Amino acid sequence: MTNHSLFDYFFSYLKLGEKIFAHIKKAFLPFVIAMLFLGANNIYAQNKTISGTVTDGDLSGPLPGATVLVKGTTNGASTDFDGKFTLNSVNPNSTLVISYIGYITQELNIAGKSNINVVLKPDMAALDEVIVIGYGTSRKSDLTGSVVSIGGDDLKKQSISSVAEALTGRLAGVQVTSSEGSPDAEVSIRIRGGGSLTQDSSPLIIVDGFPVNSMSDVTPSDIENITVLKDASSTAIYGSRGANGVVIITTRSGKDGKISASFNMFYGAKKIANTIDVLEPDDFVKWQYEYALLRDRLDTYQNIFGLYQDVDQYNGLKGNNWQKQIYGQMGEVQSRDLAVRGGSDKINFNFNYAHYDEKTIMIGSDFKRDNLSLSLKSKASEKVDLTFTFRYSDTEINGGGANEQNEVSSADARLRHSVGYSPIPLPGLTTDDTDEALSSYLVNPFVAVADNQRKQLRKNYNVLGSFGWEIIDNLQFKMDLGLDNRNDLDYRFYGRSTYYASNRPAAENQGLPSILISDEKRERFRNANTLNYDFKNLFGKEDVHSLKLLLGEEMIISKTNEIATEIQGLPKFFDFDTSRNLTSQGVPQSVDNFYSPDDKLLSFFGRVNYDYKNRYLLTATYRADGSSKFLGDNQWGYFPSAAVAWKISEEDFLKDASWINTLKLRLSYGEAGNNNIPSGQTVQNFQSRNTTYINGVNNYWAASNTLANPDLKWETTVTQNVGLDFDLFKGRISGSIEAYKNLTSDLLINFPVPGTGYSTQYRNMGETQNTGIEASLSIAAIQKADYGLNFSFNVGFNKNNVNSLGLLEDFGANTNWASSQIGNDYIVNVGQPLGIMYGYQSDGRYEVSDFDFNALTGAYTLKTGVVNNSGIVGVPRPGNMKLKDITGDGVVDVNDNTVIGNVNPKHSGGMTINANAYGFDLSAAFNWSVGNDVYNANKIEFTTSNNNGQYRNLSTIMADGNRWTNLDVATGALVTDPTQLAALNANTTMWSPYSTNFVFSDWAVEDGSFLRLNTLTLGYSAPEDITSKIGLSKLRLYVTANNVFIITNYSGLDPEVSTRRKTPLTPGVDYSPFPRSRSVVMGLNLNF
Amino acid sequence: MKKILIIIFGIIAGLFTSCQEDFLEAPAKSTLDESIIFSNAGLAKGAVDGIKEPFGQTNSYRGRFIPFYGFNTDTEWNLNSDKENDAQADLMIYDTKPSNSQMNTDNNAWSQMYTGIERANICIRGLRAFGNPLPGTELGQLLGEALTLRAIYYADLMKAWGDVPARFEPINSETLYIEKSSRDIIYKQLIADLGEASTLVAWPNEIPATATVERINKAFVKGFRARLAMVASGYMQYPDAVRRSTDPDLSVGAMYQLALNECKDVINSGKASLEPSFETFWKKYNQENIAAGGESLWEIPFADGRGRVLFSFAVRHRSVDQFTGQPRGGIAGPLPTVFYDYDEADLRRDITCVPYQWGTATNGISKQELIGSESWNFGKYRYEWMNRFVTSTNDDGVNKIYMRYAEVLLIAAEAANELQGPAAAAPYLKEIRKRGFAPADQPVKVDAYVNGLSTKQAMLNAIVNEHKFEFTGEMERKQALIRWNLLKTNLEDAKVKMANFKNRTGEYADVPTTLYFKYKADNVSLDIYGLNRGENVDPGVDYSAKTWNSLTDIKVNSLFKTGVDPDTRQYWPIWQVFLDGSNGKLVNDYNY
Repeated sequence: MTNHSLFDYFFSYLKLGEKIFAHIKKAFLPFVIAMLFLGANNIYAQNKTISGTVTDGDLSGPLPGATVLVKGTTNGASTDFDGKFTLNSVNPNSTLVISYIGYITQELNIAGKSNINVVLKPDMAALDEVIVIGYGTSRKSDLTGSVVSIGGDDLKKQSISSVAEALTGRLAGVQVTSSEGSPDAEVSIRIRGGGSLTQDSSPLIIVDGFPVNSMSDVTPSDIENITVLKDASSTAIYGSRGANGVVIITTRSGKDGKISASFNMFYGAKKIANTIDVLEPDDFVKWQYEYALLRDRLDTYQNIFGLYQDVDQYNGLKGNNWQKQIYGQMGEVQSRDLAVRGGSDKINFNFNYAHYDEKTIMIGSDFKRDNLSLSLKSKASEKVDLTFTFRYSDTEINGGGANEQNEVSSADARLRHSVGYSPIPLPGLTTDDTDEALSSYLVNPFVAVADNQRKQLRKNYNVLGSFGWEIIDNLQFKMDLGLDNRNDLDYRFYGRSTYYASNRPAAENQGLPSILISDEKRERFRNANTLNYDFKNLFGKEDVHSLKLLLGEEMIISKTNEIATEIQGLPKFFDFDTSRNLTSQGVPQSVDNFYSPDDKLLSFFGRVNYDYKNRYLLTATYRADGSSKFLGDNQWGYFPSAAVAWKISEEDFLKDASWINTLKLRLSYGEAGNNNIPSGQTVQNFQSRNTTYINGVNNYWAASNTLANPDLKWETTVTQNVGLDFDLFKGRISGSIEAYKNLTSDLLINFPVPGTGYSTQYRNMGETQNTGIEASLSIAAIQKADYGLNFSFNVGFNKNNVNSLGLLEDFGANTNWASSQIGNDYIVNVGQPLGIMYGYQSDGRYEVSDFDFNALTGAYTLKTGVVNNSGIVGVPRPGNMKLKDITGDGVVDVNDNTVIGNVNPKHSGGMTINANAYGFDLSAAFNWSVGNDVYNANKIEFTTSNNNGQYRNLSTIMADGNRWTNLDVATGALVTDPTQLAALNANTTMWSPYSTNFVFSDWAVEDGSFLRLNTLTLGYSAPEDITSKIGLSKLRLYVTANNVFIITNYSGLDPEVSTRRKTPLTPGVDYSPFPRSRSVVMGLNLNF
Repeated sequence: MKKILIIIFGIIAGLFTSCQEDFLEAPAKSTLDESIIFSNAGLAKGAVDGIKEPFGQTNSYRGRFIPFYGFNTDTEWNLNSDKENDAQADLMIYDTKPSNSQMNTDNNAWSQMYTGIERANICIRGLRAFGNPLPGTELGQLLGEALTLRAIYYADLMKAWGDVPARFEPINSETLYIEKSSRDIIYKQLIADLGEASTLVAWPNEIPATATVERINKAFVKGFRARLAMVASGYMQYPDAVRRSTDPDLSVGAMYQLALNECKDVINSGKASLEPSFETFWKKYNQENIAAGGESLWEIPFADGRGRVLFSFAVRHRSVDQFTGQPRGGIAGPLPTVFYDYDEADLRRDITCVPYQWGTATNGISKQELIGSESWNFGKYRYEWMNRFVTSTNDDGVNKIYMRYAEVLLIAAEAANELQGPAAAAPYLKEIRKRGFAPADQPVKVDAYVNGLSTKQAMLNAIVNEHKFEFTGEMERKQALIRWNLLKTNLEDAKVKMANFKNRTGEYADVPTTLYFKYKADNVSLDIYGLNRGENVDPGVDYSAKTWNSLTDIKVNSLFKTGVDPDTRQYWPIWQVFLDGSNGKLVNDYNY
């Protein structure tokens, strides 16, 4: 494994820096220079000394450590233990700014004064931010459920391409993992482990009240904050689909007052982080020779490489580094966004435009996204609020990546070609001609990329409107209307070298390019009506009781239509672009215009918030959901929840503990539902399908392979949560600790019914459980006017368990990367978590001493008592991979598969450090995962030469000297003599790559624990007195490095990987991933 | 203000009125109702076509059942049988376990057959309910096809697994899990179904639909019904013993008569006949001549890009060459002794047994090269006879012959012999045998030979032998041996015969141990001397020699696993994945 450390690239980044500077120079150089001049231009005249005392308005004592700063300068001081301060050289007409964390900052003009006394009042609002919860907001101190949130400022400080990326490692109990390194890589978000078995466990994502499919269509810079609801008492108000948690994203809205604008941009460069080291050409040739001997097909070596006597011609040859050529491009990222906000108390607006552009490290792969949004808020009258939001996003992704989920065959995975392809040109075997596809199974990596092209165009627009009306005092009616329209257009090209092209089309179109076009349109309409009533008038002014009531109704209708077109037999010289534009040159194998059944949801819900003396809080929620995915009485699901909280800090016995700001104990119980299955599973319908299997039959009618189940009903998750929130030393230390137990029953499982005539049936059966502990802590270690240091830290321990699978004890799942050579390599067992890897236990290799040697015939026969694994690795011979016999019958076969890995981490979390000093800010975000296993399928593939593996290169794990060898280099013959063979391999450690099959053993299961410095940002904000002179309210320049380093024992490219995502049953497989990159980005934030 | 109020209440009122029961109904859109599909012949044909689609699925007939069922017998073996602890070999040597890694997948032939059965059940129910399928109508033809296709799936299920679950109605929640049924019940149902089907479908070429052997015709239905009658009344392994059925409806008397009647119907119809030349028949087959009315009665209709018949069984090609873009074939072949069991004058011998493969191509041209005496290839399947150049890397697209007229004749002979004696059987046997010999040889090899079979037993023995000469390489033998109760006997005999062949003793003492070969004028095909008994004289310097005794004891003993009685392993076990998925209803009998 080559580790291209960051330092290696610093020099190349210097060059890049010049390029960036050239970019910036044009527009910003003038005022960068101006800024420097202005900075030096401070004039001091007739200054005086001023002193004073700062007292605590809460406790009426002196306030030590408060900051006193002359406004617009860096001249400042801190108060001493008695709250006193002295400042020298102060302009007699200046203003002092007095601040202390947790208190309201005061400004005071000192004209004519030399001694001042200031009383600072505690700022409850700053300590008690407002959090967005379902259908409303709540003060943080009043929350009863398990809720975490992150503000937009944390998102804005660095360069991020997507919202999900920004969440990585930031929130306790929220595990964000990106599956590989491509820009459109699927990001898996799991809140407390996720409960579903065969269905997606992604949380419900709500943007401005509207449920969306993906958060990638929202620009990070347009986000006000993100809230994650984790327990059922918080999610129950969302009832359906809240079972896996809810992520609520609120976008920015206009602020009253003057119109302001902000402009952000960044530019950066990316470089591949790791590559897989492969054999040098001479070693490659040497292995090819041994392989041909072992297969007894010497002619296949001689035809290509010549005679063994001439093998020295390959010595010292420099091989092509295909991985560098394919994935070693310098990637570039560019982003610009502009926001204009403002308005009056009658009407305000927020306009945002963002452009993101990335050229990735892989040839021909890029990613572009444009977002446009406009939101308007108007107070039409004293009683009526109106809002309107329009959002548009347009994404274009080019490039086929390194693998895909709906693949026709893993033979077309791209990374394998750049690793396994011959490092040297071999006449007759390697050519740049696409036609080589027809003569050999070695595919030039460039041809593989060109033949597996893909273009995805995603357009999404979203229109939201709301009408709020205060009908009578404290009774608020709100109606939300929204329409979401999404169009995904996907072109997938299969060139002549692909498995698809040679096997899928009818014979006359085989070996010719094909293109698959999917045009999917989704439309979703939502209407929600809520009534909020605050009973405060009823209880009078005593402020002892507080009661609020929410009642609501919601309706969501989703419609989907997909036109899937397969065009085969395009002219052989067509490439991706011509195929896409000239489809009529091919033969349309199938055009399927498919309308899915509508997905309709109707819900009624209510919520009561009650508190007594602001000490004892109660939230109770009830929601009823009706879904068109179910029939009859099963349509409706009812989801109650309740939560109580006790603000211990409000009790009299803690009133005097001034260091405790908030101490709150929370307890909740609730149910949430899930109907996350395809619609139309309750009635068996006929589908019309195309086929190329049967002569003269191009299409046919048949029932779906999924057997209908009229008895389907809601999957239910019961959540129990206990949490403790604390806020100490005026907010210097805050955090929470929570423990939870989530029990998901009536699991909606796509249940296998093999052998009945159908393959699966959706059923409610089984139960899974997630239990865990989460903690988050943030420490404001230093809070001074000019410098500060914050830490925040979160960790989550989650334990997943399959409690029951209904009728079954276990069932297996196949990642299928090795086609049929490896069977079920994952298993779902009752009593164990999801993501259990299932395979053989490696026992090293067969040594010479394991065999009896017959000198007459030259045959090696296994000694009695030595296990035989011939059905898996091939006929046993010294040097073959050896596997453990678990059943003890002397034979290794499928029955000897056993549990060999667990993809679930013991704990995962993140840590952020934020520091600032004199206008500079530094932030570092780490994330980690401990105790998770990774299935390193790449390692298996690139250390195995099976029957299809001839002429393929191997990784250096199998370099000469490591691998077992049977070759006598001097004579070019296979060694059979036992003594000689044992001596030859006295220093080798690996088995022979020669094997009948790929074998999944615990050797390929590796600990994937890691600690990653995900982002490191250094920024500088120009002082306000300088920026104000050039009309700016803020000017910040920054440099961010992404994926700075990773500490791990994992031997593959990157331990954060999951490339077989077709079902949730096979996570954590490292097979042909898009390699990750490291990047350095320079950026600029401007506020006007 | 008031206006807004009115609008709001209007919308809310509208919402709540739409909140009636039907709001949450969301019917499927891209579909048609059963009543429409099965009342329209054009649509119903699409549903019946759907029954055939599972033949082509990856691990169905295409990739598993055709390549693996029917081995090993006294005439055919898989050339990987000697691999130790190998999933493919286990299937061949009567040592299959439920977890066999080649077969134990949820998309195995077992489940594909039930998919076909379910589709057939839906078609049969739909056609009866909505179609008015009378004989002579298009819908009638379709019902007959659906009944026949269902019988094909069931026949093959029982052939490979013995007793299986009986599903003759579409599945619902109550019938999702059921136990195995007695095969007697299923056979009786199939014989009745085929009886009905034979009244519904047309003779070959009677209507446009029956112009090819890829659609079901009356000659096939009747022939197939005769075959099933013979199987149902024959010997086979029941959970208790190897025996005939005790069901009186399936007695030899009743079933043989039914078989004879059906065969006679086909023979007398004149709608099917033997191709005059055995070689021409196989050439036509490889050329994908699918015209009905000849010898082939029905073929599994693989499209050009699907199916692994030649891929598995053809004369092997070592590389892409002038005949094929798919270097495959040769996973199985005739036993080394079969060639020598033929009469040297039998024209079928050299079509059936091939001692060469096509070597690695030079400049795209490959030559025949001799293979060892233990690894003969089947000659009935040859890329070199195809009209089409196969380009797929995984499929050849040639059909599998499911039944041909020769089998009708042989069943007629067997049934007539049993019911009426050897004289009644003789004409049928003569007709088959006649094609095997040149006219000059026929008086001795056909007429005198058949006339000499004077007892029932002698005639039956001759039929058993003739079956070998006629059908080796078509994987019909295993089921036939089972119903004759000869599986164990003949497999044991075959081991002895192969050992004799290996040692050149007994009946193989005069078989040469050296072959001599040279290339013919075309420079690709072999001229071989030494294959026939007694060809022991070196033919000259222009010939090269090759030793012709590479058969080993290990190979001989791999015909079936030493220590296993093939009669206790007549069936494959039901695969573990289906046992596990059966909710405890399915179990393996026969001590698996």
